[in-house]
Amino acid sequence: MSTRLAFDRELHILQQDILRMGSLVEQAVYKAVESLLKRDPVLAKEVMTGDDAIDALRWEIENRCVRLIATQQPIARDLRTIVTGLKIILNLERMGDHAVDIARAAMCVCRHLPPEPMETIPRMARLAQQMLKDGLDAYVYDDVNKARAMCLTDDEVDELFNKTFSALIEYMEKHPDTIGCVVYLVLIARYLERIADRATNVGEDIIYLVTGEWQELN
Amino acid sequence: MEGKILVEGLNLHYRDFHALKDVNIVVPPQKITALIGPSGCGKTTFLRVLNRLNDLIEGVRIEGKVLLDGQDIYSQDCDVVTLRKRVGMVFQRPNPFPMSVYDNVAYGPRIHGVRSKRKLDEIVEASLRGAALWEEVRDRLFRSALGLSGGQQQRLCIARLLAVEPEVVLMDEPTSALDPISTLKIEELLRDLKQKYTIIIVTHNMQQAARVSDVTAFFLNGELVEYGATDAIFTKPRDKRTEDYITGRFG
Amino acid sequence: MGRICDRAATALLWLAGAFIVALLVYFLGYIFIRGLPVLDLGFIFGLPRELGTGGGVGPQLFNSFYILALSLLFSLPVGVGAGIYLAEYARPSRLTRAIRLSTECLATVPSIVLGLFGMIVFVNLFGWGLCILAGAATLALLNLPVLVRVTEEALRAVPRSYREGSLALGATRWQTVRRVVIPAAAVGIVTGVTLVAGRALGEAAVLIFTAGMSVSRFFPDPNPFAAGETLAVHLWYVNAEALVPDAARIAAGSAALLVLVVLCFNLLVGLPGRLVQRRLTGK
Repeated sequence: MSTRLAFDRELHILQQDILRMGSLVEQAVYKAVESLLKRDPVLAKEVMTGDDAIDALRWEIENRCVRLIATQQPIARDLRTIVTGLKIILNLERMGDHAVDIARAAMCVCRHLPPEPMETIPRMARLAQQMLKDGLDAYVYDDVNKARAMCLTDDEVDELFNKTFSALIEYMEKHPDTIGCVVYLVLIARYLERIADRATNVGEDIIYLVTGEWQELN
Repeated sequence: MEGKILVEGLNLHYRDFHALKDVNIVVPPQKITALIGPSGCGKTTFLRVLNRLNDLIEGVRIEGKVLLDGQDIYSQDCDVVTLRKRVGMVFQRPNPFPMSVYDNVAYGPRIHGVRSKRKLDEIVEASLRGAALWEEVRDRLFRSALGLSGGQQQRLCIARLLAVEPEVVLMDEPTSALDPISTLKIEELLRDLKQKYTIIIVTHNMQQAARVSDVTAFFLNGELVEYGATDAIFTKPRDKRTEDYITGRFG
Repeated sequence: MGRICDRAATALLWLAGAFIVALLVYFLGYIFIRGLPVLDLGFIFGLPRELGTGGGVGPQLFNSFYILALSLLFSLPVGVGAGIYLAEYARPSRLTRAIRLSTECLATVPSIVLGLFGMIVFVNLFGWGLCILAGAATLALLNLPVLVRVTEEALRAVPRSYREGSLALGATRWQTVRRVVIPAAAVGIVTGVTLVAGRALGEAAVLIFTAGMSVSRFFPDPNPFAAGETLAVHLWYVNAEALVPDAARIAAGSAALLVLVVLCFNLLVGLPGRLVQRRLTGK
């Protein structure tokens, strides 16, 4: 039985808030990619305005962490939970920003662009989203193996990005008239790759949370 | 790790009570070692093993080896009085003797044969400076020590100890009766003292152990559960029991 | 209900206290009203007379203090020494038990029995006769157990932390006792000794058969083998056996003087203790 009920409750709320923020980011990424595939500016706008909620939640969580450090003198696992929490929300917030970047770029991709150059984008998006989801799962279940597995997925995303990048360059060389449009696709691919990197960071944070050891996944 | 004190297979029985169970520990020199654990876990008993203060208590039986610089302090040819001069102790409640500040500090040197007034004056001043108390008491050296504040009294006890130039300083919850400012002063002092002395401190205050010590040992029910670098113990303890205790989830 | 009980208890306890005070006032009043008018320099320092009126109690007063001083001289080293042994050194053993038991037995011996014992041993066996020395020696036996207990208790009241503090500095046991424990217990010991002395001043039964009921022809006579009637004994003597016509007057005066002396002594009890305390604690 725990002798620190109030503190435990706070830590539980912290965990719930982080998961809530995670799912908001997950949705944002999903919607941003959807807005590209469906050329839906309304959805893209939604992503942009939705980012405020993510930022607000981030500050709320950060304040809670600082307050807990100041008032509860956390050590050992408690300290790691809070420090990891701070780092995870930083990564989540960045992923949220990338989702906004994707939505913004999506609005610039011309409506009549054929789907051919966008071939690999949905797969990249799926992988990045999967990593984000795995990270949150690993966080909930202290699952170090899942966290470690995330880096394999990240390798896949990187490979995919390289492929997409050269494919888009090639496409632009062939269709110089589409450059103004396709260059945004390059950016989007780049953002998705960054999201996957951020997710990998979350995986590292979780490994530290559970084992107390820092481990570079890439 | 090279040790100032080496304890091997230490068992201590108090009547029928097995107070310390097979304790093995190496206390590094010129470092602060913190002993933590719940009340009655044996940490204070262990501390008092190191200067044989348990000898005074009826019904205590000790087995195992306690080596100070390689010499067994429980062997026949070890003189308790010499041992206690080398291994000094500061207690939980400040216990200055009911005499003047000066006489308190001069007590140790006097019983060890220092007679010269000039030499005593020197020792008293140096010890009081060493305990960061000189400035506060220089004008009242010949007034009773019992008129000092709790924090000052505890620093006086430290000065009294420094006057006999020990090698090891044992501290049994030295700040538990003091206010936060006095506590921090003593902690600051400890950091200075470890340049010269090997310090072992028993504390109930987790933050204190984390703040001042280099090495931490966790005792539970007479057992040494975990022992290692303080930053490791306080960020990633290996044993679940240590984790539960230091994060305050005990029960 | 509870409140009534509480009030009743308070009232009863108050009455008990008031009764004691009233008793004391009546007792002292009686003695002083009869005795104080008798007290003058001639009485206090004059020589007694066997037949005529107007005798004083000078030698008795002198003997009272002389015997007291001598008895303390005998009993203090032994009593305080045994007290220190019991408090600081004795581990539970046969010898310790024997000492403690003897002390308690000695304390319960009625003083008249002790007086007879003194007469047999010191007066007859040693052949000292009824004298100051025999009285002082017997009185010392009476004081001994109390001194042992007073010392032991005073030493036990010294916090263990002082002893540990000293031992932890590498002091030997004797150094610890002599330099820390005894000074710290000094207040208690001095107070105890003063109390013992006050009681001894009023002691009569022990001295009747050992110091005798007459005084030396000389005053003051420091010879320890001189007859040593004290004030308390004199009081009993004039009441019981004296031939002088003003026996009642002398008895009243002696009683008042004795009470006065003991009273002063008891009032002064705290004084030496407090002086020592002030020096030690700086308060």
